[in-house]
Amino acid sequence: MNTSDYAIILSGVTKCYGRTVAVRDLSLSVPRGQLFAFLGPNGAGKTTTIKLIVGLLRPGAGQVHVCGCEVGSNGLAAKAQLAYVPDQPFLYEKLTGREFLYFVAEMYGIGAARRDRLLESLIRRLDVGEFLDQLTESYSHGMKQRVVLTAALLHEPAVLVIDEPMVGLDPRAIRVVKNLFVEHTNRGGTVFMSTHTLDIAEAVSDRIGIIHHGELIAAGTLDELRAEARRQHSLEEIFLELTEVDDG
Amino acid sequence: MVDSHAIAPAYPALGLLLRVKTRTLWNRTRQAALEAPVRLSAAIVLVSAIWFGLYWLFRIVFDQFKRTPLEATIAIPLVFNFFFVAILVMLAFSNAIIAYGALFGKTESAYLLTSPLTLRDVITLKYLESLVMASWSLILLGLPLMIAMADAAERSVLSAAQRPVFYGLFIAFFLAFIPIPGALGTLLAWAAARFFPRRTIQFAAVAMGVVIAGSIIAGVRSLRLGDSAAEVWLRSFLGQMSFFESAFMPNNWVASGIDHAIHNQLPESFLYLGVTIANALFASWLAVMIVSKYFDRAHDRASAGHARGKRPASPALGGVAGSVFFYLPPPLRLIAAKDLRTFIRDPLQWSQLVILFGLMGLYLTNMPTLRFSFSGSGWFLIIPFLNLCAVSFILATFTCRFVFPLVSLEGRNLWLVGLLPMPRGHVLLAKFAFAMTVTVLVAVATMTLATIMLELDTAWAVIHLVVTMAICFGLCGFAVGIGARLPMFHQTNTARIANGLGGTTNLLASVALVSAVLIGVGMATWRCRGLTVGTLPDSTSLMICGTVVVLSVVAGLVALWIGARHFNRVEV
Repeated sequence: MNTSDYAIILSGVTKCYGRTVAVRDLSLSVPRGQLFAFLGPNGAGKTTTIKLIVGLLRPGAGQVHVCGCEVGSNGLAAKAQLAYVPDQPFLYEKLTGREFLYFVAEMYGIGAARRDRLLESLIRRLDVGEFLDQLTESYSHGMKQRVVLTAALLHEPAVLVIDEPMVGLDPRAIRVVKNLFVEHTNRGGTVFMSTHTLDIAEAVSDRIGIIHHGELIAAGTLDELRAEARRQHSLEEIFLELTEVDDG
Repeated sequence: MVDSHAIAPAYPALGLLLRVKTRTLWNRTRQAALEAPVRLSAAIVLVSAIWFGLYWLFRIVFDQFKRTPLEATIAIPLVFNFFFVAILVMLAFSNAIIAYGALFGKTESAYLLTSPLTLRDVITLKYLESLVMASWSLILLGLPLMIAMADAAERSVLSAAQRPVFYGLFIAFFLAFIPIPGALGTLLAWAAARFFPRRTIQFAAVAMGVVIAGSIIAGVRSLRLGDSAAEVWLRSFLGQMSFFESAFMPNNWVASGIDHAIHNQLPESFLYLGVTIANALFASWLAVMIVSKYFDRAHDRASAGHARGKRPASPALGGVAGSVFFYLPPPLRLIAAKDLRTFIRDPLQWSQLVILFGLMGLYLTNMPTLRFSFSGSGWFLIIPFLNLCAVSFILATFTCRFVFPLVSLEGRNLWLVGLLPMPRGHVLLAKFAFAMTVTVLVAVATMTLATIMLELDTAWAVIHLVVTMAICFGLCGFAVGIGARLPMFHQTNTARIANGLGGTTNLLASVALVSAVLIGVGMATWRCRGLTVGTLPDSTSLMICGTVVVLSVVAGLVALWIGARHFNRVEV
């Protein structure tokens, strides 16, 4: 497999916390230009997998590649291609949203003219202009999420890794974010999204992976998952059926 | 877009990170000045008071030294050596704690680690950040020391024209010295994450406790007064302390450099400054290099340690916590027991209490080795009074930092508390009962030990124990009552709650209460200084002590009443 053809490749990745195996022998590849929804019950290993992809954790066994760069040995090059939005978004509380976005732009080496052009569009799309000059400590969770998404998309990353993107967003913002993700993949970018919101995964994802007890138990398009479950059901029913197997 | 090979590579971004930090500091200061000018002014006034108090204290010490030139020649370099040894140890530990949180615990570091910044830039930023956070108090402490020293030496050694040079050198020595313990602390933080990922806080608390206790035991033993002549003792003492004057010890470079500066021997002073700067730069470089090179494994283990640290709770603890509050009705007992369980499971809380009162205990148990004879002099009352002062201020520290945030922390659970079948204000009684139980147990045990070690008269022992309990009552009443009157329900960070408007108000009120009680007990002690052991205090002294006890209890009750009234009708 040519690693540079894929946005994300996990090859036989295992991650243990002491005696607890959080992720077991996980192999998964996400081609460029796809929106991959990563599903699983609480504690299944979704966030651990995401942290392995963005380089916050090191696998005990196996390798992780992002856009052809091995995260362990060439982390800096891999991170230059990534944007990561965690489930608890980080913002400097004593900076305004605009100051934070300027900081991110400079961190990624984006010049002022290009920054302003990109920001103008994102600010309008995500509707953050109204509160962008207030200190971020005054933001609600949804406002924070929108500013963090603006920051993540600002440098036009090849891979957007996002943990629970829709939490705290109102319906209008959810629609905007869904459209942004689709546009991002249409332009050749990749979105790796962990979520519990199955109807969103069903609506926008190209492929879906389901992790349970640290093991990838299913991966493919919605039709492939239906075939695997041998039933023409909704994603919710497929998910419940697949993740109940081990629970007996 | 999204050509993965065309994305700008990461570049050295330390300057950018420092600019962001400076900007956040500027925004914070501006916000404080605009939104809470009273609090900012109060902080400036308090800091100034501490600053002038320290200057006054240092000035007395140096003036005292000047009266006896021979002793001063020996003592001043020793004082400086010990001062910088103590600073070295304290700064190393405070840097370790701050650096650990900055590198392995904060969401900011996780964010920066997923950004295209070099690891060295992120580590350097965190190193500098912890250096500033841990060391600003040293500057606060150092400046009055420097000015007092220059003022004391002015007439004899330094002319008015030479003083600015001395000040400059003194500050340069401080700044050059700080990175050495800072580097040590950063390495300690890394080692704790790398080798003790699951019990880092416990490891830090135990290590700090062992070092401080060891230092005190060694110090007290070296001070033990034997039957030998003073000269023999002095020689022995200086011999034992010679390790700290080794040419390889950073404290010695700084102490010697300042000593030369105060005697206007500038070439020697600059030599020591150069040695200190060179070593500080090397230590900083080494710490950043080592941590950067081996950071991944430490960060990975720290993250894994956090993830697997979720152990099942001990059922025995629940039973013990419940039985401690047997005297409370069931709903209140449950709330108090919940607070006690949280306290026991949070090492940050109990470790500070253990360290502070552990130090008191160590000092008290070593009192007999000093072989001072207190009987027959006023000291038999003065020393216990000073012990009472120390215990009272430690109690105030604890209640302001840990008891005060308790009510605010219930903010997110107020929907649940509001549904309990009792007036909401009764929750404060549970908080108060928890705080009283912890503080009275620890404080009374310490004061009992003090009275036994000093063989204090029964009457004075009873007075001190009753006053201690009254102070506990007042301080806990203030912390819970003011905590309910000026809560921060939307804040979950206890440090921020304690530093807010309510926390500052509680701190000022607690200091005022403790000062008032201690002034009263101090007056009674002073009145009885001429009494011999076994003599009962006079009725006026007893009345003063009784008054401050009543004052403390009433103040606590009033604070609780005000807090309960507000808490009953508060909306979140």
